[in-house]
Amino acid sequence: MAATASPPAPISVKSGVAPLRAGQGYSFLLRRLHSLSGIVPIGAFLVEHYVSNTEAMKGPAAYNATVKFLNSLPFVLSLEWGLIFLPILYHGLYGVWIWYRGEGNAGDYPWMGNWMYTLQRWTGGIAFAYIIYHTWTMRFTGVHLATEPDAGFDKVYRALYGHPWVVLFYFVGVLAASWHFAYGIWLFCAKWGITTGELARRRLGYVCLVIGLGMAGIGVYSLTGFLSYLAPTPGSTVTLLRH
Amino acid sequence: MANPKTVLFKIKRQAAPGAQPHWEEFELAWKPGMNVTSSLMEIAANPVTRAGKATTPITYDSNCLEEVCGSCAMLINGRARMACSALVDQLDQPIRLEPFSKFPVIRDLAVDRSVLFENLKQVKAWVPIDGTYDLGSGPRMTMEDQEAAYPLSRCISCCCCMEACPQFNESTGFVGAATISQVRLFNTHPTGAALKRERLAALMGDGGIQECGYAQNCVEVCPKDIPLTRSIAEVGGEVMKQAIGDLFRK
Ligand code: HEM
Ligand code: SF4
Ligand code: SF4
Ligand code: FES
Repeated sequence: MAATASPPAPISVKSGVAPLRAGQGYSFLLRRLHSLSGIVPIGAFLVEHYVSNTEAMKGPAAYNATVKFLNSLPFVLSLEWGLIFLPILYHGLYGVWIWYRGEGNAGDYPWMGNWMYTLQRWTGGIAFAYIIYHTWTMRFTGVHLATEPDAGFDKVYRALYGHPWVVLFYFVGVLAASWHFAYGIWLFCAKWGITTGELARRRLGYVCLVIGLGMAGIGVYSLTGFLSYLAPTPGSTVTLLRH
Repeated sequence: MANPKTVLFKIKRQAAPGAQPHWEEFELAWKPGMNVTSSLMEIAANPVTRAGKATTPITYDSNCLEEVCGSCAMLINGRARMACSALVDQLDQPIRLEPFSKFPVIRDLAVDRSVLFENLKQVKAWVPIDGTYDLGSGPRMTMEDQEAAYPLSRCISCCCCMEACPQFNESTGFVGAATISQVRLFNTHPTGAALKRERLAALMGDGGIQECGYAQNCVEVCPKDIPLTRSIAEVGGEVMKQAIGDLFRK
């Protein structure tokens, strides 16, 4: 070892977690808006969207009639942006920010609530990826259904038929969104002081489980509506559905 | 357990706040009823590692030895808990001891937990009775309120609930469950309620109650079985009522 003394290496002392910043910032507003947006409008829209899509079970004509009806709503573009796209974008981006700042530790503390915490982040992330893909391919590219609602069933059918990976992504997306929304209701009620009691939270847990399974069931049911519509050949389906 | 007659410890050591941490192993003779703190005392009496190398005694906090002072919290086999009530016979070996990971290490297993004190000051976690004259006896508390408040008053400021919380970290600066629960305690108190609005407002600041992701680790690790998730839900509701009310009042 060198005989000469060298200056001690600068020590970096961990500062630890900062105390509460009472009266500072507006993260409270942003976080509560994130929480609320998950229920309304996003959750409400999700339910509407799932229910509307069950029309696929009744075949192309009924499905396209629904597409036509939804696109005939007054101020449809403002509704779409104000109640669907912007809230999802806000909830999704802020959700990723929340995810990034949390330190998931379900490995060290493997308890139910902690697993659900972790799952809420993963299902949100999967839903976000899925929603971006889904709106890009269904709303922003290809046949524009606002002007051509009769092509609705056909557009979805063509996207799914013969594309097993797309079908799989749809299943995963539907399941993730259902889970995320159902547990989101439970979280919302706990955080906003609606279910303050232990028993109330447990009971709501069962209700949310039913909601989640119900949503997943409805979503999968609609998907099979598209998948089971097996016309003799894909070619003939297209001409059949377009007119 | 390879040899039932001895107990094996792996302890994460750090000589000073900025020093590099390292691990040391210790092997102790088994005794009935030994706990982690009593084992640390034995090591202090004979600070020799398993390999036979002389070392320094391990620095750790402890005081009451009966889980009421809150000083001996550390990570035992990766989990936040009190050393004095951690019975060796109930732990997997080698028993891994580490200082809390989210608090500045002072030395070895002793950490600086003053952030909780700062948080309690931020929410004015006290009953305001200071005055220049005798204020007389306070209002009576209903039996129901007493029963709700008593469990909350058992908090020993150990910080286990904060260490185990995924949201308590340097990027959120989250206040943690203990302080939220103390807000509920002092808001329940008839005289303490004088500061209720200020406490709830404080919890709306950055790092406030909104950061809770409701993972519920806090309530699982709390050595005093404090109903922390109930406190978070109740205070969460109070905070919302005040925030929405203020939209119209202010
Ligand atoms: C299908 C559309 C979505 C719906 C219906 C939805 C709904 C909800 C609801 C109701 C909550 C509970 C609110 C709360 O925790 O206070 C929630 C929480 C959350 N959402 Fe979403 N969400 C959706 C999409 C997303 C996306 C795309 C992300 C992005 C990753 C995301 C990330 C999160 C996160 C991180 C939380 C937990 C917040 C916390 O623990 O504090 N969500 N969501
Ligand atoms: S419920 Fe979870 S996120 Fe909230 S304080 Fe407790 S451990 Fe932290
Ligand atoms: S609430 Fe429980 S875990 Fe948290 S500091 Fe108090 S006693 Fe410790
Ligand atoms: S020494 Fe007091 S709680 Fe452990």
